Amino acid sequence: MNRIARETVSPRPRVPSREGLADTPFEPRLRALSTAEDWMDWSGCLSPRALGAVETEYFAIRNQATLFDVSPMHKYRVTGPDAERVVNRLVTRDVARLAPGRVAYVLWCDEDGMVIDDGTLFRLGPQDFRLCCQERQFAWLHDIAWGFDVAIADETGDVAGLALQGPTSHAVLEAAGLALPDLRPFGIAEPEPGLVISRTGFSGDLGYELWLRPEGALALWDRLWVAGADLGLRAIGFAALDIARIEAGFIMAGAEFQPIHRALRPSRGRTPFELGLGHLVDPGKPHFNGRRALLREAARTPRRQLVMLDIEGTKDASGALVYHRGRREAGHATSAVWAPTAKRNIAFAELDARAARSAGLRAEIYTLKEGRWERTMASATVIDRGVFRPPRARATPPGRF
Amino acid sequence: MSRSDHFDAIVAGGGHNGLTAACYMARAGMRVLVVEKNDWLGGAAVSRELHAGWTYSNCSYVCSLLRPEVVRDLDLPQHGLQVIPYTGGATFTRDGDYFAYHSDHRALEREIARLSPRDVEGYERFSIAVMRQCRFIRPLLLRTPPDPVAPRPRDVAELVYLLRRFHDLGPRETGEAMRFWTASVGDYLDGFIENPLIKAHLAGSGIIGTGLGVYSPGTAYVLLHHYMGDVDGAVGAWGFARGGMGAVSGALARAFRAAGGEVVTCSGVERILVENGRVTGVALANGDTYRAPVVASGMDVKRTFLGHVEAQHLPDDFLKAVRRFKIRGSSGKINIALDAMPRFPAAPEDASFLSGDLHVSESLAELERAYDDWSVGRWSAEPYVDMLIPSRIDPTMAPPGKHMMTVFVQYAPYDPERDGRRDPAHWDEAARTAFADAVLDRIERVSPGFRDLVLHAEVRTPVDLEREVGLTEGNIFQGELTFDQLLFNRPVPGYADYRTPVKGLYLVGSSAHPGGGVMAAPGANAAREILRDARRLDRTERAFRAA
Amino acid sequence: MAFDHNRRPRAVVIGAGVNGLAAAATLAARGVDVTVVERGRGPGGMMTGAGQGELGHFVWNLHPAALAELGLGAADLGLGAEVATVLLAADGRHVVIEGEAISFADGTPHPDAAAYRALRARLARFAAVLAPLATAAPPRLGSGMLNRAGLSDLAQLARTGLGLRRLPRDARREFLRVLLSNAADLVRDELPDGPLAASLVFDAILGGRAAPGAPGTVLALLWRHAGGGRRRPAGGMAALARRIAGAAEARGVTIRYDATAAGIEVEGDRVRGLRLGSGEVIAAEMVLSSLGAMPTLRLAGPAHFDAEACRRIRGLRCEGTTARLDLRLAEMPRIEGLDGRLAGARLLLAPSVAAIEAACRPVKYGAIPASPVAEVLIEPGDGGAEGPAHLSALVQHVPYAPECGWTEAAREALAAAVIGALGTHMPGLPGLVTESRLATPRDIETMTGAPGGHWHHAELAADQMLTLRPVNGMARYASSLPGLWFCGAGAHPGGDITGLPGRNAALAAAADLGQGVTR
Repeated sequence: MNRIARETVSPRPRVPSREGLADTPFEPRLRALSTAEDWMDWSGCLSPRALGAVETEYFAIRNQATLFDVSPMHKYRVTGPDAERVVNRLVTRDVARLAPGRVAYVLWCDEDGMVIDDGTLFRLGPQDFRLCCQERQFAWLHDIAWGFDVAIADETGDVAGLALQGPTSHAVLEAAGLALPDLRPFGIAEPEPGLVISRTGFSGDLGYELWLRPEGALALWDRLWVAGADLGLRAIGFAALDIARIEAGFIMAGAEFQPIHRALRPSRGRTPFELGLGHLVDPGKPHFNGRRALLREAARTPRRQLVMLDIEGTKDASGALVYHRGRREAGHATSAVWAPTAKRNIAFAELDARAARSAGLRAEIYTLKEGRWERTMASATVIDRGVFRPPRARATPPGRF
Repeated sequence: MSRSDHFDAIVAGGGHNGLTAACYMARAGMRVLVVEKNDWLGGAAVSRELHAGWTYSNCSYVCSLLRPEVVRDLDLPQHGLQVIPYTGGATFTRDGDYFAYHSDHRALEREIARLSPRDVEGYERFSIAVMRQCRFIRPLLLRTPPDPVAPRPRDVAELVYLLRRFHDLGPRETGEAMRFWTASVGDYLDGFIENPLIKAHLAGSGIIGTGLGVYSPGTAYVLLHHYMGDVDGAVGAWGFARGGMGAVSGALARAFRAAGGEVVTCSGVERILVENGRVTGVALANGDTYRAPVVASGMDVKRTFLGHVEAQHLPDDFLKAVRRFKIRGSSGKINIALDAMPRFPAAPEDASFLSGDLHVSESLAELERAYDDWSVGRWSAEPYVDMLIPSRIDPTMAPPGKHMMTVFVQYAPYDPERDGRRDPAHWDEAARTAFADAVLDRIERVSPGFRDLVLHAEVRTPVDLEREVGLTEGNIFQGELTFDQLLFNRPVPGYADYRTPVKGLYLVGSSAHPGGGVMAAPGANAAREILRDARRLDRTERAFRAA
Repeated sequence: MAFDHNRRPRAVVIGAGVNGLAAAATLAARGVDVTVVERGRGPGGMMTGAGQGELGHFVWNLHPAALAELGLGAADLGLGAEVATVLLAADGRHVVIEGEAISFADGTPHPDAAAYRALRARLARFAAVLAPLATAAPPRLGSGMLNRAGLSDLAQLARTGLGLRRLPRDARREFLRVLLSNAADLVRDELPDGPLAASLVFDAILGGRAAPGAPGTVLALLWRHAGGGRRRPAGGMAALARRIAGAAEARGVTIRYDATAAGIEVEGDRVRGLRLGSGEVIAAEMVLSSLGAMPTLRLAGPAHFDAEACRRIRGLRCEGTTARLDLRLAEMPRIEGLDGRLAGARLLLAPSVAAIEAACRPVKYGAIPASPVAEVLIEPGDGGAEGPAHLSALVQHVPYAPECGWTEAAREALAAAVIGALGTHMPGLPGLVTESRLATPRDIETMTGAPGGHWHHAELAADQMLTLRPVNGMARYASSLPGLWFCGAGAHPGGDITGLPGRNAALAAAADLGQGVTR
C-alpha cells in the first residue's frame, strides 16, 4: 500500500514474447553434430541430452576429451567494496579464505538451513566474484546484498561456457595454444584477454571450463575442435556427463536435493548435513544465511542421510525404494547408474539416518523386460562417495593422457 | 392432492448447485423435483443464443473451480460436459505494452524477465506460496464446516482435523497462512513482485465478484478462490465448457433426469411452506403446490428467508443475521458477438495467449481507483475487464470466422448514485449505454477498431443478474467472501452445516460454504447432509415401526 | 555463555518512550542494571514528540500490568477525570457523550443512545476475551506448540478460550463472526450513519491507514477498546512522561538524554553493547530497542540477519497517516450550544462513517485530504506564551509522502482544510488563529524516529498483528540476533500508550537472561 501512489509502467522496448527454448552461443555447432536429435530443456535453453550414442560419449569423457556446452548455467557477477562480505553472507564456506584466482564449490541455505542451491564460486579479484549455478538466483542475491555496497549483474547471457573434460583435455588445450601446465585444480587462468579458463568440472576427471563472451564462442569451439582432432575430442550431451558425475560422486540439484525455493512442500528441504556436505559449513565465520539454524541442526543427529550405495547385480536402481531389516522402508534412490568404468552398480540414496549406518539394506528395483515388469530385491551396501576419482584428475602439471 | 404432487425432496432453483444437490439425492433413490422460475435451467451457468448463430455464456464464463469429485460422481462427461482447457492470458496497457501470461513455463520466465528480471524468482515464490495455501484449503471445500461454538462429536473430529493440518504446517507456515488469510492481494503481491503491470495482472482474480479493492484485507484469500483450479498442475482445470457454461447445467440436468428426477420450469417458488417448524413443501407462483419433507433452496440466503419463508417461522436472531448478511453487487458483464477476431497490435499475431483471459490494466493503483468509483455508487471509469474469446478454441460458440467475446467487468454498482441518492432504478437505458461505453472504450484503446466489429452486445448490470438469475443485488457469489462470511460463519454462524432453523429446509446454493464460483461444492456438501439426515430419519422410522 | 556472575547483568534500552521506560523498569525490578538511551531532550517518545511537545491527546489504555512494573498506581499518574466527547455534526446537532450519558448538545436525548451503549458493551465484552493475549508474547502456533516451551502458549490460549467460553453461546458466535470483519459494517448494522456511528469507527482507524470498510478493522477496534475512558494527564503528555520516567528512575534505571544510539555492538553472534553517537560504548548483555523494526535492524546492521528476515522487515507497512496541527488562538472559539463545554473536551470532527470513508481515499494516491477527519482538543491558555487558547488536531489520513511533496503550499492546504472544516462549526475560527504549526507524518518521523512517523510504528492490521508483529518469526520480542530484543510499539500488542510491548519484551528478555546466567 505504501507504494501505491508511485506505480507507473515505464515504456520498454517492445520485444514480442515467444514460446519455445532459447539457443546457446554454441547452438550451430551442436546442431550440426547432432545425429541423435535428442534435446532437452536446460534452464530454458535448447541443450543436447545426447548428440550421438550416450555410451560413446561417456567413454570419451573417461578416455579422451569432451566438449559440453555449459552456457545455460546461471552466472552472476558480484563486485564492489562489500563483495566479499556479501558472498560470505550467502554461502556456508568461508570465502575470506578463497584467494583471487581460485574457485570453490559452495552451497547456500535459507533461514532454516535448507539448501537453496549449490554451485561454483570464482574469485576473479579481491572485490570481484562470479557465481555459477543451476537455479536462478538474481533476486536472491539482491535479497542477500540488501544494505551492502555491491553491484550484482546477471551474466548468464553475456558469458558462454564450455566444459572440456577428459584425460586428454590438457593436451587439447596445449594443441590449441592454450597450455596451462601450472594451473592447479580449482585454479583460474586468463591465457588470452577475454578467455577465462578454470580447472573445474563435473566429470571427476581431468578437466577445464572455458568462459568467454558469446561473440567468440564459435571461434573457440572451432579452435579446440581442430586441436583435438587427433586427441579423440568429442562433443557430448548431458546423459553421458550424468553417468560420469554419479560415478565421481557429485550431487545434482533436483535429483539429490530439491532446491528449497522451488519446493512446494517445505518438508522437502535438506540441510548440508543431510546431504553429507557438513564439511562445507563453516560455523566459525561471521553470520551467513541460515547459520543459526545450521548450528542447531549440527547439534542434533540428522534425520536423513544422503549416501552412495553399491548395489548387487547390474540392474539400474533408478527410483528404487530401499529397505532395511527386511520390509522396513528406509528411503529411496535419487540417482542411479551402472558405472561403466568402475564396473559397479551404484546409486545415490536418501535414507533414514539409522538405516544409513546399518547393514542389510535391500533395493527394490523394477525393470521392464520386453513388456513385463520384473521386480528384484538387490542387497545394497553404503560406500564412500565417488567410485572413480583417478589421481590424474589432480596431477599438476597434468599428463598428456 | 394426488400422489404426483408428493416428492421426497424439492429443490427450489435450478442453478448448478441446486441441480448438483438434486442429482445426488436422486441417485440416492429419492424422488426429487426441481423447480425453476425461468424457462431454462442453469441459473448463472447458462448458454443462450441472443444473436442468431452466437452462443453466449451470459453469466459465469469459465470453468475453473468445478470440483472434479462432482464431475466424476455424477458422470457429467457422459452427460455431455466437456471442458476445454485454455492457456495463457495477457494484460494490455494503454501505452501499447503488455504482459503475456504464457502457460509455457520457460516462455513465462522470459516474459517476466523482459519486464522485470528480478520478478522471475518473485513470481516463482509467489506461486509456491499460493499453491501451499491451496493445498491447505482445497480439502476443506468438500467438507462441512465444523461448529466451533457448540461442537457436536463430528464437529470435534472436524476441528481436530483442522488443528492437525495447522500443526503439520509448522509455526512459520502457520504464520504465512495467517498472513495470507488476512492480507490484501495488493499488499501480498507487494511482498513478491516489483513490476506494477505484473502485479495488476495477478491481482485481478483477487477482486473478481467482490465488493473489495485490491488493497482491502482479505482479498488475498479471494485470489486463492480462483487459483484453486491450478493446484498441482491439474491439467485442464481452467477451461471453457464446450458449448458455453450452459453445458455444465445441461449435463447436470441430463444426469438428474437420467436418475429419474423431475423438473418444473417457468414458475418459481413463491412460498416455502412450513408447518410447526417443519418444511412441508412449496407453493409456486402459478398456484401449484408440491409437498415434500425436504426442500433444498438453491437461492441465496437473503432471497430464501426474506422473500420466500414467512418470518413467523424464523427466530428473530436468525432473521437479523440474514438481513445483515453482506451480498453486494459489484460486477457487470458484456457479451459481444464479433464480426471477426479483434486485433491487439501489442501482441504478436495469433499469439497463443490470446485464447486466454485478456485484461486492460496499468497498476494496482488504477484497480484501486476502480474500486473507489464503485464505493461511491459509480461504475468504474477505468474498470477491470476480464475478456475471453472462447470461440477461438470452441467452434460451437460462433459461426466460422466470427467470434464471441465475454467481458466481465469489475466494478459496477447495484444501485448507482444520482443526485446524492442510490437506487437500482438508476440503471436506466442511458446509464446502461454509458456503462457499456466505458467498457468498450477501454477495450478499443488496446484493440483499435474493436467497436466496429461489434455486431451485438448484451449488457448485464447487477440489477439484470438479480432480476433474471435471482441473485440478490446481483452478487455473483451469493454473498461476499470475507472472513465474517466464510467457513463456520457462512451464511449465518451456527447454520454453516447447510441446515436452517426450519427442519427439512436446507441451503444448497453458494451462500453456503465454501461459497461462489461454478464449483458445485455447496450443492454436493448439502446433499451429503440431507442424505445423512434422511438416513437417520429412516433409521428412526424403522426403529419406530419395529417397536 | 560467558557472564560475570559477580556483577549484575546489564541491559541498554533504546528510547525513553512509554515502552522503553516500561521495559527498563521491568528489567530493573529483576535485578538488571539498566541504562535507557534517549536521543531527545526529555522522555515520552511519541507521546511527546521526543520531548518537543506532544502528539497524542489522551490516555485510555495504559495497562495496569505495565504500571505495576513501574511501581505506579493509576492514581499516581495525575490523570484527570474522564473527558467528555463532543461529536460535531454536519447539521449542527452536535452530540455529547459523557460516560454513559449520550445526548444532543441542547440536552435532548439521542435516539440511538441505547443501541450505541449496547454495541459498546458488546465490544467491551469481546475486548475482554482478547485481553489475555495482550499481556504476553503472542502464542506460538503450529508444531511449536507441542513442546515444553509451548505449554505456556497453550495455557495462554486456554485462558483466551476460557474467556470465550464464558460468553453466552450467541455472543461466542458473534465474536467469531466479527473478529476479522470491518468496523463500518459492524457499526452500521446497529446504528444509522451519523456522528455517533462515526465515533466508534474513528476509534478503529485512528493512527492507521485502513478504511472503515476494510476487513480486520474490528480487530483493531477491539484491541484498543480494552481500556477505559479517555483521560487527559495534568500538565499534558509531557508531565505524564516525566512521571513515568521518574518512576523508572526510582526503580534504579539510569536515563541518558541527548544520547543517540549509533550502533549495536555484536561479537560472536551476540549483542555486546550499544555504541553512542559520541563513540562511547555501553557494554551490555542485551539491548532492547523500542525503535521500529527497520531502524533497529539498521542499528545492528543487516549482516547479522538472514535475508528472509530483512525482506520481511522491508515489507512492513509503516507509513504514517496521522498529522498533528497546533493552532494558537486569540481567544477560545465558540460553538453554538456548547458554551463552557468545549475546553478540555474531545471533539471529533467525523460527521459520518461515509465521511470517514471519503477522507480515507486520497491518502491511497498520495493526495492531501480535502475534508479530513480529526480528533480535536481545545485548551484555554494561561495567558502566557501559549496565548489565550490552544487548539490541536490529530488529522487522519494524511500522506507520508504526498505526490506533490511536502511543499509549503501542501502544508498550508492541509491546515486550511482542517481550519475550514472546523470553521463551519466555529464561526470566525480562521480569524482567531495567531500561529499554526503542522507536524506531518514525515515531521513526526524526524522528530521521534518512528518509521514513517506511524502512530503504531507499523500498521496495526490483522496481517501485522499477533504472531506476525513485527514480522513472522520475531513476534516473541527476540530478534534473531541473540541479545537484541524489540520492545516498542512495532512489537506485540502494538501501539497506543499501553506500555505492554515494553513490559512483555522485558519479561521475555529477563527469562532468557535467567537461563543464560544459570546455564
